[in-house]
Amino acid sequence: MSDHRVDPQEGLSRREMLEVTAAALATPLLHLGPTAAPPATPILQGAPKFFTGPEFALLDELSDLIIPTDAHSPGARVAGVATYIDFRLSESPEPEQQASWRSGLAAVDALSKELHGKPLLEATPDQRVAVLTRMAAGEHDPKTPAEHFFQQLKGWTVRAYYTSKVGIHADEQYKGNVYQRGEFAGYDAT
Amino acid sequence: MTLVKTPPPLSQDVDLSKTYDAVIVGSGAAGGMAAHVLTEQGMDVLLLEAGKKLPIEQELRSMQWPYDHPRRGDAPPGYHSLSFNEYTIRTPPYAKGSTFKHVMSYVGGWGGSDYVKNILVDEKDHPYTGTKYAWVRARALGGKTNIWGRLALRLSDYDFKGKTHDGYGDDWPISYADIEPYYDRVDRYLGISGVKENLPHLPDSLFQRPNKLSFGEVKLRESLKKMGRVLTPYRAGVTTDGLKHNKYRSKCYGRGACDRRPGGCDIHAAFDSPTGLIYPAMDTGHLTIRTNSIAHEVLVDPNSGKARGVAFVDSGTRKSYEAKAKVVIVGASTLESARLLLLSRSPQHPNGIGNSSGHVGHNFCEHVMGPGVTGLVKDLVGKPPTLDDGRPGGFYIPRFRNLKDRQPGFVRGYGFEGSGGFSIFPGNAFGTPGFGAQFKKDVRDHAGAFIGMGGFGEVLSRYENYVDLDPDAKDAWGIPTLRFHYQFGDNEKKMCEDMVVAGREMLEAAGIEVVGTDEKMLTEGWSIHELGTARMGSDPKTSVLNQFQQSHDVKNLFVVDGSSHVSASCQNPTWTIMALAWRSCEYLAGEFKKGNL
Repeated sequence: MSDHRVDPQEGLSRREMLEVTAAALATPLLHLGPTAAPPATPILQGAPKFFTGPEFALLDELSDLIIPTDAHSPGARVAGVATYIDFRLSESPEPEQQASWRSGLAAVDALSKELHGKPLLEATPDQRVAVLTRMAAGEHDPKTPAEHFFQQLKGWTVRAYYTSKVGIHADEQYKGNVYQRGEFAGYDAT
Repeated sequence: MTLVKTPPPLSQDVDLSKTYDAVIVGSGAAGGMAAHVLTEQGMDVLLLEAGKKLPIEQELRSMQWPYDHPRRGDAPPGYHSLSFNEYTIRTPPYAKGSTFKHVMSYVGGWGGSDYVKNILVDEKDHPYTGTKYAWVRARALGGKTNIWGRLALRLSDYDFKGKTHDGYGDDWPISYADIEPYYDRVDRYLGISGVKENLPHLPDSLFQRPNKLSFGEVKLRESLKKMGRVLTPYRAGVTTDGLKHNKYRSKCYGRGACDRRPGGCDIHAAFDSPTGLIYPAMDTGHLTIRTNSIAHEVLVDPNSGKARGVAFVDSGTRKSYEAKAKVVIVGASTLESARLLLLSRSPQHPNGIGNSSGHVGHNFCEHVMGPGVTGLVKDLVGKPPTLDDGRPGGFYIPRFRNLKDRQPGFVRGYGFEGSGGFSIFPGNAFGTPGFGAQFKKDVRDHAGAFIGMGGFGEVLSRYENYVDLDPDAKDAWGIPTLRFHYQFGDNEKKMCEDMVVAGREMLEAAGIEVVGTDEKMLTEGWSIHELGTARMGSDPKTSVLNQFQQSHDVKNLFVVDGSSHVSASCQNPTWTIMALAWRSCEYLAGEFKKGNL
């Protein structure tokens, strides 16, 4: 007879939650979203696995434009969104999926050059927002390559951010996935 | 801290030289219940399960945070879950020609495919043909109960005597009074949580403490009361107070793990067949289990025409075996049980065992789903997060159509399942337009303010909806596969249209703004509630089984799963499957002892 050990405290990791919250508190006001300059180096351990260095830097910036750091919580860059997307693509068995990210990023730079005469990462913060605004214009009915890419980019950014530590704890301040030892939370049906 | 015990590993080396009192095919809700009841009666039982025994706690990892999983819960590269479009665009077999190494049913796509990839079958090994059907199968000890959705409802005489009520179909050969004591036993033995509502069409169970409601759900409940309708906390087949007689199951701690995944509970507060039924049955000393054993024929004694055992192939070694028994009990799931009966052809039973009526595979029915509504509870926008999803489910709105009224467009009815409030993933992020700080704030402010619900409607039992054996196609073990001849009809379409209208009306009456409606019916099979392919009845010409799920043709053959149901009801079937199996197996044991089988 072997025991199946379940440690009710294990899933909670209060320490981790505190760390994330502390990070959230330390970060605000430094980067107030689209008007602030990005940090010099994105969060990445070692070289990207799938993207080239410049591609990764562009993706990192785009994800942080979509979900930026604000007074409430850190954004996509701190949450490591680009690192996660890079990892998933590096092991993707679908070459078309991989190719669509490469061509999508290229389309962003092409649009930036069309609008401002330079690639996105060389553009000013306001110009970057202008590029993304153009890409997002066709969100519900995308037509241009950049508009199609926006859907894909935003979908993956949303998925990666809100499943990250930052997204779940610092931004959403999710209360669940805990052992409720007494009364269940909520209201009685009376 | 230790919450639950796990039993020792199973051995594949079981004694096949002896004749068992009974052999059971399948270890889900039906087969597990048969094992429990028969071993409790002292019978010597062999249980055959086609799948393996999984280290289920390691598979489920219920409390794992998304970010602690390298792919946030997704299965590794090479696994693919079928999408709605694949089911609607392609013709089965869906996995044929797929470039992916493994193809799972759509359930893998619910978020958390890595947690179910070894529970669900690989569609590539298990093809089927015919009309479109999203057939979800789990081959593992416990079957689909490993990822069961937990809604545990009783049927009533509105179902058992449906024909008497509205003239459609056939009455069951039992009434509520016959099955009520067995529902009570299932409640007590397995545990169920809920709130008494005193409804004739949804009888109350013997409830342990209920799950709570979220703010928006209370608002809707209060409003529905004025319409004469009911919103009740999810009646979950979950032990919320614990079960003193079962050391394999913990009480529920409201972790909510079951509800953010395709199902499953690694402390087994939610019912599953292995911990709820099979391990306790093993402790009687009367149960032998052989996993990886794919039954493909009920064997027949040529002299008596009675069943004498089951032929099976080992899924790993592909060697063939025979298990000998005095009684054969089939509980392989509605469609697999029909397949097994049809595969069991002999001179005595040329159309398949137990099929002199020609009804095996027919009268196939289930629940139709898809239509639903989403509402925004304005009072909740911008409110701080609360713990709303630490529970096995949100709410259930029981049937309200065609009870006292007569709808012009359709017979029978439907119920709604739904929930509202915060969850681990703010699904509204996908539908929130734009980007930047405003987008992020919009997502956060609205994350807990939505309430959604979807209908589950009764699909009418019809002889012309059926499965048979494909003359050519075979599975990975060379066993002929099922071919579907099954489609929703006009009654289901009209009912689904009404779901949207009624859903909208109920939210609006509660002052909840309707922000989205789903109108399309999901592919046949989506509810995972298939029923009816070996129905009970008192006339052997039009039914396969009698009221004790005993074959009209072969008295030592019983089929104890959902295939025996005469109609689908709109209420989820698992609790009824277990109550019926309990009743039938008690009868079986009595007849066995009297030497009548």
